[in-house]
Amino acid sequence: MKKIDKSVADAYFKARTMIVVICLIIGGLVSFGVVAFAEFFSQFTFMGMPFHYYMGSQGAVVVFVILLFGNAIISDRIDKKFGIDEEHNVRVSAGSTVDH
Amino acid sequence: MDSQALVSVGLILVTFALYIGISIYNRAKATSDFYVASRGVPPFWNGMAIGGDWMSAASFIGMAGTVMVLGYDGLAYIMGWTGGYLFLSFLLAPQLRKYGRYTVPEFIGDRFDSNPARLIAAIATVIISFTYIIGQLSGSGVVIGRILSIDAMYGTMIGVVIIAIYATLGGMKGITWTQVAQYLILITAYIIPIVFMSLQVTGNPLPWLTYGNVVSEIGALDRELGLSEYFAPFADSEKLQFIALMFTLMVGTASLPHVIVRFFTVTTMKAARWSGAWALVFIALLYLSAPAYAAFSRFILMTQVAGSPIDDLPAWTTSWVNTGLLEVADTNGDGILQWQEIIIGNDIVVMATPEIANLGMFVIGIVAAGAMAAALSTAGGLLITISSSFAHDIYYRLVNPQASDKKRLAAGRWAIVLSTVVAGIVALDPPGVITQIVAWAFALAGGTFFPVLLLGVWWKRTNAQGVVAGMIGGLAATLGYIFLAMNGIMLFGIQDTGAGLIGVPINFLITIIVSKMTAAPPQKLQDECTNLRYPEQMTYKDGEVWMDEVSGK
Repeated sequence: MKKIDKSVADAYFKARTMIVVICLIIGGLVSFGVVAFAEFFSQFTFMGMPFHYYMGSQGAVVVFVILLFGNAIISDRIDKKFGIDEEHNVRVSAGSTVDH
Repeated sequence: MDSQALVSVGLILVTFALYIGISIYNRAKATSDFYVASRGVPPFWNGMAIGGDWMSAASFIGMAGTVMVLGYDGLAYIMGWTGGYLFLSFLLAPQLRKYGRYTVPEFIGDRFDSNPARLIAAIATVIISFTYIIGQLSGSGVVIGRILSIDAMYGTMIGVVIIAIYATLGGMKGITWTQVAQYLILITAYIIPIVFMSLQVTGNPLPWLTYGNVVSEIGALDRELGLSEYFAPFADSEKLQFIALMFTLMVGTASLPHVIVRFFTVTTMKAARWSGAWALVFIALLYLSAPAYAAFSRFILMTQVAGSPIDDLPAWTTSWVNTGLLEVADTNGDGILQWQEIIIGNDIVVMATPEIANLGMFVIGIVAAGAMAAALSTAGGLLITISSSFAHDIYYRLVNPQASDKKRLAAGRWAIVLSTVVAGIVALDPPGVITQIVAWAFALAGGTFFPVLLLGVWWKRTNAQGVVAGMIGGLAATLGYIFLAMNGIMLFGIQDTGAGLIGVPINFLITIIVSKMTAAPPQKLQDECTNLRYPEQMTYKDGEVWMDEVSGK
């Protein structure tokens, strides 16, 4: 076991929290945001249908998928930057699990 | 039995044989197999299993019909049921996985070191899963009843027997791989008919690209008939109800115990993140298709069925009229069936459209098998959850901590058999339509668990008194609002299906206020909470973060 500098540990947590907050804001805008102004967006057309309908039926869902993969990929990079080894995680995790 | 019924039954039997075969092959041998599939399921396959577990009779049978009937207002289901995966994969699943328990009540009980909290969580889990399973069993009853031309009641009984057999045999390990198979069958069954319909209507086999124009054409047809346009926002309900429903479905998605437990079956936090991402891809395949299904179905009904003479309707109308879910009546007596004279039930659109579009016996049979896969895979996951709440959280953790492995496994299996039978009896006379029953389950899950799980993971000051009060208050407020709204007493036009927007804030407030007013939890529990911020290799201890180094490097 090696002690990690508090600033490094905080930087890890801050980086992870930042992506989560950004992703949730984008996710909220494409769903709740578009719904709140649906009447306004209905004047535009996209993929053959009114924009508010497009966002509800396809747009929001596609953005959600992109956000989830974006988060998974960026989080992996952050882990790597902080020297986290996933294979080691698997070993640690198996040991710390409560099995009864 | 006519040839259509033979083909459908044949396909369903083949798929059932497959599920039971997989269950037997992966039979649970140890407790950890039974509850969490030995925690070694790869994220890609776990994502697919989540897709099967998640997409229920409401998604498969009910959603396209709901969108078809409600138009834009039905899209709250699409965004709500997918958006919940953001909350789940960002805020809860990886942290809950690091905590490393078997069930949601066990997390709550251990995280706050409180047996009352454990008991309330276990009871709430049973209530939520029970509400949800009634929808699945009555869904399978509709499908089997329609195919065999028997009463839906007997259909439900047949479904109950099948589910009880494979859930008891396999446990979580068997269920993982049966759910993968069920996902593949249900998604194939859903996409085949819309590809054919897309070809029929537009000549292009990719429905996701073509249905936009169909939506516009439906809007034009509606204008001609003097109706409000299909895509007009908030034609059927208030904007606030749309938002309340979407919110309820999102928080419910993030806190359904049977979905969360699927994230306990992977190895690490990283694997939990990737599971969530893969899960949403597989789920999105169906949810992006549902509005297309709705649009084609409505277009074909409006252009090919409406306007035909009432005495010359195709054969499919009679069998569906017999189920009571379709009404065709020439109310103005001109001998022609108008669009306004067709009343089609939400729950039959997916099943009936392949017949309406004349897609042939094989496609209709596949859709039936897919609908059964959707109902059974979710019911299986729910039964495992009910069984672990009884056998693990209540029996083992509270009643008899000395119980042997064998005894607990037996208790789990008996809980499955008993709850299937009881849920089956309730499902014989369901208290609402499928999507509505399911929305209640989401409101209850969100109202009871979402604030408690979120605060439990992210706010170390949350204590046992806070969560006990919060869960009771949230559950009571949500249940109470559902009953009030069902009887016409509503706040700001929010209906029973949007009850989460009432229950969740109340739960948050109570949990925070009561936690603040009572003593802080012991330092050990606060440290455990802070520890959840970091990956497995890092440990938070005594105000410092420690890194477990790779040996030999």
